[in-house]
Amino acid sequence: MAISESDVRHVALLARLALTDGQVSSLQTELNSILGHIDELQGLDLADVQPTAHALEVTNSMRPDVVKPCLSRELALRNAPEAEGGAFVIPAMAGAGEDV
Amino acid sequence: MAKDRLSEVLERYEAVIGLEIHTELTSLKSKMFCGCPVEFGGEPNTRVCPVCLGLPGALPVPNEAAVEATVLAGLAVNCDIALWSQFHRKQYFYPDMPKDYQISQYDLPFCSGGHLDVEVDGDAVFQRVDRDSEEEYTARIGITRIHLEEDTGKMIHVGGAEGRISGAEKSLVDFNRAGTPLMELVSEPDIRTPEEARRFAQKLRLIMLTLGVSDCSMEEGSMRVDGNISIRLRGEIELGTKSEIKNMNSFKALHDALAYEIVRQADLMDVGERVVQETRHWDVGAKRTSMLRSKEEAHDYRYFPEPDMVPFAFTEEWVESIAQRVPELPDAKRERFMGTWDLPKYDAVVLTSDLAMAGFFEAAVAQTGPARAKSVANTMINDFSAHLNAEGIGVDESPVKPSMLAELVVLVDDGTISGKQAKEVFSAMVKTGEAPAVIVEARNMRQVSDTSAIEAVVDAIIAANPDEVASYRGGKIGLVGWFVGQVMREMRGQGNPKVVNEVLRRKLG
Repeated sequence: MAISESDVRHVALLARLALTDGQVSSLQTELNSILGHIDELQGLDLADVQPTAHALEVTNSMRPDVVKPCLSRELALRNAPEAEGGAFVIPAMAGAGEDV
Repeated sequence: MAKDRLSEVLERYEAVIGLEIHTELTSLKSKMFCGCPVEFGGEPNTRVCPVCLGLPGALPVPNEAAVEATVLAGLAVNCDIALWSQFHRKQYFYPDMPKDYQISQYDLPFCSGGHLDVEVDGDAVFQRVDRDSEEEYTARIGITRIHLEEDTGKMIHVGGAEGRISGAEKSLVDFNRAGTPLMELVSEPDIRTPEEARRFAQKLRLIMLTLGVSDCSMEEGSMRVDGNISIRLRGEIELGTKSEIKNMNSFKALHDALAYEIVRQADLMDVGERVVQETRHWDVGAKRTSMLRSKEEAHDYRYFPEPDMVPFAFTEEWVESIAQRVPELPDAKRERFMGTWDLPKYDAVVLTSDLAMAGFFEAAVAQTGPARAKSVANTMINDFSAHLNAEGIGVDESPVKPSMLAELVVLVDDGTISGKQAKEVFSAMVKTGEAPAVIVEARNMRQVSDTSAIEAVVDAIIAANPDEVASYRGGKIGLVGWFVGQVMREMRGQGNPKVVNEVLRRKLG
């Protein structure tokens, strides 16, 4: 399974990355090299192995429904480039959709 | 929209509707993956922390009560509970979501494969033109899944039209809501009419309220309904192109938006145009939907297992322990009301469609005894409901308490006051919050049922009106009403009408 140039451009678009043609080319090479390692796994017989998302043999790690202290608003907004009325300010978004 | 236009369209086209219903778990104390409190509103960004702000290095940990509430909800709507499940990351860019991904569930949700039975009666039965009968019917609506995720923040768009994002100069983001535990239920496309959609959403809301997992406020957005809808010619098997409708913020809006959309799609197909797959926004003021975005911009979410969280392995015993916590659900309660107190279905439906109403009824009947249950139901469905509607208040906000309504029912039932007087006492009760017996005493309204007292008045009236007595005895039977009026006036309305009638007929006859 090889990654095409258009795959790279598509993923870059989704990740909002502006890549030069040179970067697209080098990233395509790098990504294909990473996928090459995956191909080695494809050669193994994994019929009896469950898909694994975690290396740990741990399940059901949860916390009780208990309230903890929040950040102060001043601290929460400290790194914001712009704030107004206690809210983070976002510049106008061209062609923005709406989602929930 | 004219109802006849919709029914004309439904004669030719069948609608295929599926709903996506988001419910915030507002009854929880803390957010989905952090300890910030779950509340509505408040000053912006005062309930935030590194986790719900998506700051680098923060570690989200799932709220156990949110997982339990979701499984509880799944069991209440007949879902299977997955013994192996996990969270996934759903990637998309939007400023109300600080991590640029939402922690959600993908192919391993907690609940799947359930259903709800939805009763449709009244005028809306006509929407199912494929049914020959005008009788009420029950539609079984499949539930594909219920999964758990985190809610987003809230944005205020400044400088655009109607607070919409398009054309806005800038947007203000408040992350207080970000990370609120959010359940998403996806229905099968089994819904065929706007009314079925409304009934499904109403029933689901009542179930969630019964479970106590959410306040389900459509106004405050703790319950949000989106719809997927397409139409096809009747008899056609292949599905039409669907549109997704958002911003249906009330049950009426849900119904009206879907009805509008059925007609809009039919108008396109009637002139040979095709329906475009897109997301549309319901404008409640203009009563129309408009395009929000086309599916060409559809998101590619690139789900992958959430690496910050380990999977969930539930045992059958654990699921059973949650099942034990499912309380009496609305259908069962309605049946119990009909069975225990012999109430007609209509009464049972009205009383059990609101949790507070049902609780009020049970408290009042506990006081009056089961024999007077029907009288309690009547008073609640008529006077009490009219009073709540007139004041625009909920059951718990009324000055009328169950004990007061029960007392009033008993006063009528034992003949202390007449049904007509009861109306007056009820009005006074609403105004003053005083107990019925106090009002009856203060206004000297006690009904006179004592036969000898009534006989004395009747004798006097008969003696004073020999001409009318002669006419009556001559065959003008209808004059009895006039005599009743005379007696009641003499008794200042406090004569027991039944006894007065009986004495009059005896003495005149």
